[in-house]
Amino acid sequence: MSKYLYLSVTPEALIASMLPPAEFGDYMATGTKKSNKGQMIFFEVDIDKVTDLVDMDYIEKNCVRHPDGAPKHSVYLSVYRVLETIPLSALKNLYLTTDNGIVLELTPTPYDNSCEEKPSMHLYQELCPVTPQVVSEFCPAGFMKALTDGSRQFKLPKLFFVEMKLGELATNPATGSAEHLPYTHVRHLRDCLLALQGYEKKMKTVVRSYNGSLLYRTVASGFYVGAGSNMIYYRYPTMGELEEINYDFLATL
Amino acid sequence: MISLPGASSFEVIAIWSVLVISFFGLGYALLLRKQVMACDKGTPKMQEVWGAISEGANAYLKRQLKTIVPLIFVFTIILFLSVYIVPPTESSKLRFAGYSDESLKLIIGFGRAMAFVMGAVFSLMVGQFGMRMAVQANVRVASASRRSFGEALKIAYRAGTVTGMLTDGLGLLGGTLIFMFFGVASPDTLLGFGFGGTLLALFMRVGGGIYTKAADVGADLVGKVEAGLPEDDERNAAVIADLVGDNVGDCAGMAADIFESYEVTIVSTLILGVVLYMTTLDLSWIIFPLLVRGIGVLSSIIGTYLVKGNKEAKTQNALKAINKGFYTSAAISIALFGIVSYFYLHDWRSFLSVVMGIILAIVLDEITKHFTDGNYHPVKDIARNAKTGSATLLLKGLSYGFEVAVWQTIVIALTILSAVIIYNGMPLVYVLYGVAMTGIGMLTLTGNNVAMDAFGPIADNANGVGELSHLDKDARKIMDSLDSTGNTTKAITKGVAIGSAVIAAVALFGSFITDVSNVQIQLGFEKSQQLIETGIRISMPMVFIGMLIGGTIPWLFSSLTINAVTRAAAMIVEEVRRQFRIPGIIERTVKPDYQRAVDICTVAAQKELIPLALIAVLSPILVGSLLGVEALGGFLGGVILSGQLLAVFMAGSGGAWDNAKKTIEDGLYGGKGSEAHHAAVVGDTVGDPLKDTAGPALNPMIKVINLVSLLAAPVLIAYQKPGQFSVGLVLTGVICLAIITGSVIVSKRGGFKRPARIE
Repeated sequence: MSKYLYLSVTPEALIASMLPPAEFGDYMATGTKKSNKGQMIFFEVDIDKVTDLVDMDYIEKNCVRHPDGAPKHSVYLSVYRVLETIPLSALKNLYLTTDNGIVLELTPTPYDNSCEEKPSMHLYQELCPVTPQVVSEFCPAGFMKALTDGSRQFKLPKLFFVEMKLGELATNPATGSAEHLPYTHVRHLRDCLLALQGYEKKMKTVVRSYNGSLLYRTVASGFYVGAGSNMIYYRYPTMGELEEINYDFLATL
Repeated sequence: MISLPGASSFEVIAIWSVLVISFFGLGYALLLRKQVMACDKGTPKMQEVWGAISEGANAYLKRQLKTIVPLIFVFTIILFLSVYIVPPTESSKLRFAGYSDESLKLIIGFGRAMAFVMGAVFSLMVGQFGMRMAVQANVRVASASRRSFGEALKIAYRAGTVTGMLTDGLGLLGGTLIFMFFGVASPDTLLGFGFGGTLLALFMRVGGGIYTKAADVGADLVGKVEAGLPEDDERNAAVIADLVGDNVGDCAGMAADIFESYEVTIVSTLILGVVLYMTTLDLSWIIFPLLVRGIGVLSSIIGTYLVKGNKEAKTQNALKAINKGFYTSAAISIALFGIVSYFYLHDWRSFLSVVMGIILAIVLDEITKHFTDGNYHPVKDIARNAKTGSATLLLKGLSYGFEVAVWQTIVIALTILSAVIIYNGMPLVYVLYGVAMTGIGMLTLTGNNVAMDAFGPIADNANGVGELSHLDKDARKIMDSLDSTGNTTKAITKGVAIGSAVIAAVALFGSFITDVSNVQIQLGFEKSQQLIETGIRISMPMVFIGMLIGGTIPWLFSSLTINAVTRAAAMIVEEVRRQFRIPGIIERTVKPDYQRAVDICTVAAQKELIPLALIAVLSPILVGSLLGVEALGGFLGGVILSGQLLAVFMAGSGGAWDNAKKTIEDGLYGGKGSEAHHAAVVGDTVGDPLKDTAGPALNPMIKVINLVSLLAAPVLIAYQKPGQFSVGLVLTGVICLAIITGSVIVSKRGGFKRPARIE
């Protein structure tokens, strides 16, 4: 049976497993006895590209079938600074798992630069290694660069984040309708967006801590991982596309 | 066989034609059944899931029969003997002129008892056959959805139409047969027919309502909320009970409910028609309502057969196809009513009353839709309030529930006013006849309405079968779409059911006044003391007391039914939790014991029937015997008003909360898992027993009380002559009070015995 290597970002960990992505996501979300529930986001890592970074002997020794023949579900290899360590070139597809174990596969897509042409505000949920929710005038590429290129007081070695929907607030924070935004802190969000106008840092923290669960319906353009100008973009499908691609996933949203 | 002095050949042919049409309706139901049964049942896995649903449904139906049959037997004897307390009316003596008093009593007593059996058996048949058909259809719809949307829609709708046409055919057959045999004596026996159907409907509505919501709430609370499993997950031990419950509540219960409204409107119309015939010697008062019903059956056959989708299409608007059938039937009906009125009645008043009924049905549909459909402001507003938590969501739902009750009641009041205007300047009995004809008009398209309603649980179950047998994405998309349409059609028909119940109750109320007056005339009451002259004076303290007590009955009934659901749901919660702890169930290596949850719901539902039925049957006797017959009239007024408001309020709030949740699940405010969704789930859970148990149970309850009052009134009058005191009646009242008190205690405790644990 094949062995897989996964980079879990919520929480951060490097895990070897004998389960393919869909089964691994189901297992991580619901547990062996299926009595657990919790959202899970992870990358599949190209094992051949990290042989010098991980202890392959440990994987060979521990990631083996159980005596009853059942595949090994998970062998934790690291739980700290994993994203930073794994090279971008080793990241394959991204997998989003609902809290009842349904998995959606996202593939890398060329980054769409059109965002740079029309100024608007953006809402980003950082997912790894830090997890604040931030509003910014930067487009995703600019945001990535600003936090990882060392031009600021702090620098992240690598960043994984998702752009979330802002609706009318993106262009009109003062009077735009927030009617359909499900966020519990809309008033604070609006204040942050208003404060952002003319703010030289071009970004402002909205929520400092992440509650560990992302409403997939609020994902806007998609997920981004990288450092500096080296970035991988995973486009999030529209609801219409989701209906075709993965109806089970859509049905649980 | 027909004994109608003065009947023209057209009228004799018309009655025979109506009889033939009723068989035609039943034949159409059989034809559709054959077509549905010829469809394939899909893969072995689908059949395995279906087998479990079928087994659960059969267990419920068998148990229900066991509870109900002895009661039918008891009431048959009571109705037979009732003729020895209340002598046959003058019209019966006219119909059976030449027979001795004893023979006449035997004929009428036997006729009333047999009419009761016929009403009860027909009601039972509609519920039981309808539900069996729905269960047979769900797996076939699931299987057809693997091929095309059109085929799945056709099977689901035609299976629903089987129930619709059974309702139509049997309702028309019963009323026509009784009229053919008894002629002008039919009011003496029709009451038995109405009572049989209504009592059974009460059992099926109450039992079905408790079953379906106990299973639904129990399954959701543990499966979805606690364990985070999706809807219809095979690991949930209550999933099959939940699917069976949809059939028990929305198919058997609703069909029996609409059947009894259908029955009761013809009963009250014929009673009033005979009164008018005796006054005017014009048979059209009796023939026209039967012809209207016959035309309704024919137009339903045509309209329902037109409902089909494009065979090749993967998705389509099912509601559009269903509405096309409905409006076609409505147009055909109105055109034919006009032709019959023009050539036969030479008078437009009855025609106008019938058309007002059709308009009432459409307006009630629109009001229901406005307040409970996710595309309109109220549901969107309720969903918006979910963002601030369950408290604001509940308050908004309550607010709209109260409002919908206001508008629906005003519309019904205006419809009754239209009868007053149409029969302006004519005696009260004409106006009451006009109201009854409105009820006839409203239920003209019963075939279509019941088909639309039964379509709901069939599509819902098909979706469940698809989910549990892991059908592919395309098939499930088709079933999701049909399921969603079914939710809309169910909500719409609920509005019609409640509206028709009120109109039928008002028509029965009219029959109460004329019947009481007839008996008073027979007993030699002075004109100034006859009810038709005095009216029901709410300024009289006794009448007001009666009205106040009447107003409380629907609240008591609702309290007990909701209590029953809560208790049964708690047992289901315990059972599902227990089974989740069994190693292997959650891991899908061990199959849950679905039958235990089915048993719990079945036992819980049947156990509640007797105490609730006793309250409905004995409360009018209690009031009538202690406070008098005029107070009984006030009591009926209280029951109708309070019952109507409460039933519409509960259906409105419950339906709106349900659709607010669905709107959020469709993606509004973050969809499933969002804060808004959590609040909406609370609203839906609170609303479930309101809209599917307590609210619908009030429809037959109102009519059981009305019919018992009609049956009991002559006895009360006989022993309550002015200036006389009857120890017997006081004793009867005290006994009734004791039994009702006992029933309330028993119901609150959950049956005669403490609920036994099912091991």
